[in-house]
Amino acid sequence: MIEAAKAIADARPRVVSALAVHLRDLDLAEDSFAEAVEACLKLVEPPDNIAGWLHVTARRKAVDAIRKREAQARAADGEAQISDMENILTLPEPIADERLRLLFICCHPALAPEVRVALALRVICGIPVSSIASVFLTSETTMYQRITRAKKKVREAGIPFELPQRRFWSERFGAVLLTLELAYTAAYQDAAGEIDPELAEEIARLATLVTELFPDEPEALGLAALIMLARSREKSRVSEQGGMIPLSRQDTGVWDRRAIEQARLWLDQAARAGATGPYQVMAAIQLTHARRMFDGTTDWSAILTLYDALMIMRPGPMVEVNRALALAECQCDAAGLSALRAVPKDRVRHSRPYRVAQAKLLERLGQFREARAMLESAMELDPPRAERLFLEDWKANLPEG
Amino acid sequence: MQYMLLINESEDAYTGENAAQVMEETLAGHLKLIEKLTESGTEWSGNRLREAHTATTLRYSGEGDGVLHDGPYAETHEELGGYYIVDAPDLDAAVEWARMIPIPGAGSIEIRPIWPEDE
Repeated sequence: MIEAAKAIADARPRVVSALAVHLRDLDLAEDSFAEAVEACLKLVEPPDNIAGWLHVTARRKAVDAIRKREAQARAADGEAQISDMENILTLPEPIADERLRLLFICCHPALAPEVRVALALRVICGIPVSSIASVFLTSETTMYQRITRAKKKVREAGIPFELPQRRFWSERFGAVLLTLELAYTAAYQDAAGEIDPELAEEIARLATLVTELFPDEPEALGLAALIMLARSREKSRVSEQGGMIPLSRQDTGVWDRRAIEQARLWLDQAARAGATGPYQVMAAIQLTHARRMFDGTTDWSAILTLYDALMIMRPGPMVEVNRALALAECQCDAAGLSALRAVPKDRVRHSRPYRVAQAKLLERLGQFREARAMLESAMELDPPRAERLFLEDWKANLPEG
Repeated sequence: MQYMLLINESEDAYTGENAAQVMEETLAGHLKLIEKLTESGTEWSGNRLREAHTATTLRYSGEGDGVLHDGPYAETHEELGGYYIVDAPDLDAAVEWARMIPIPGAGSIEIRPIWPEDE
């Protein structure tokens, strides 16, 4: 039964996407899939091809629902409506392209960017609204309203269930990648995986799918490589006591060599397209860190150069913070600290990484009292449990001074 | 599906040094759009509106009767200057028509589906 549950979960994105695209109704697709799952769980023996079975069953449930709706409409105005039941009954089997189409629908520029992410997570990944709400640090009610409103807009504003024309791909493509990036970042932030351990896996799967469907888009390969590299270290990020382990102290023996190799292949493939972008640069930084697994050292000057490139392509406070840390490794801690202090204060006011980075360099410069104060201020920003444990432990081990 | 394309534009664009030329070019843009709409067999209608200073607003505060005010509904630099109603298969098609509406200065076009009578 556990296997059947996993097969159902695996089938969900594919089947719901196929249903949504053909029914042109996100709610109806989700509802009829849920009904099909209910029917499946009542079977004594699970069917051999669960995805296929769920698809056919959900389709029938949807047809029933449409028939009922039409009968009600007829009763209401006494006029028969044209039914597209024939089309629905002769649906082709779900194809990979439909998941992509749905991702593009959720990333339509007529929807607000933060709604695109939530809608994609809900409809394509099947993540419960409560989990999406906690990922985005908002209440479940608010998130539910946002998603409901977005679905309503898709339906009432007539957002098409089609891949846009090629000339509009770049506009949507950015949103598709950004959705995946934000979703992954949100899932990954919590080192102990308390939010939803399956979320990261699902997003990684979708990122891989995008590379399959757009093999010529170097940035898609870059994002997939970035996510794959983050995943390669998943098992080494938390100590037995549940505390976060920073990258520099992780046991490289636990890193996933095959995932790293896959990421390297993707980056090579991306490089051949000759169009570098921020995702490729971010992945290259992570790949440089990954090389520690093979030769035991970290090439900080290469990392600094890559952050310099990223500062041009996609400047932002977090890039500056990370660049400052690389600078500290390449030149000296004082240089790193002054680079950190040059970051505009208003942009890092609520940033934990900024305070943690300062604490790190202050400690190395022997300014333990200042480092302690900085760690305390980082803890005021409500870190997830694994990070809090790490910060508390660090603070406890700081020398007096 | 019918969409209303509401043209919000800055009237200042038509009052500068080369006002006559801007007006001429904008009108030419509208004529071109109308030509394309007709050519494509799309059902449409539309109108140009008198300037914002001719507007009167009936405003409701949420309590009781509406009160008449002089001027458009919002105090902005962009005013409702005209509209089209086009019959388009979906939002993307409506956006394509909207992109063809000439806006000489700053402005925006709001695209709103029309609520069908039978819903």
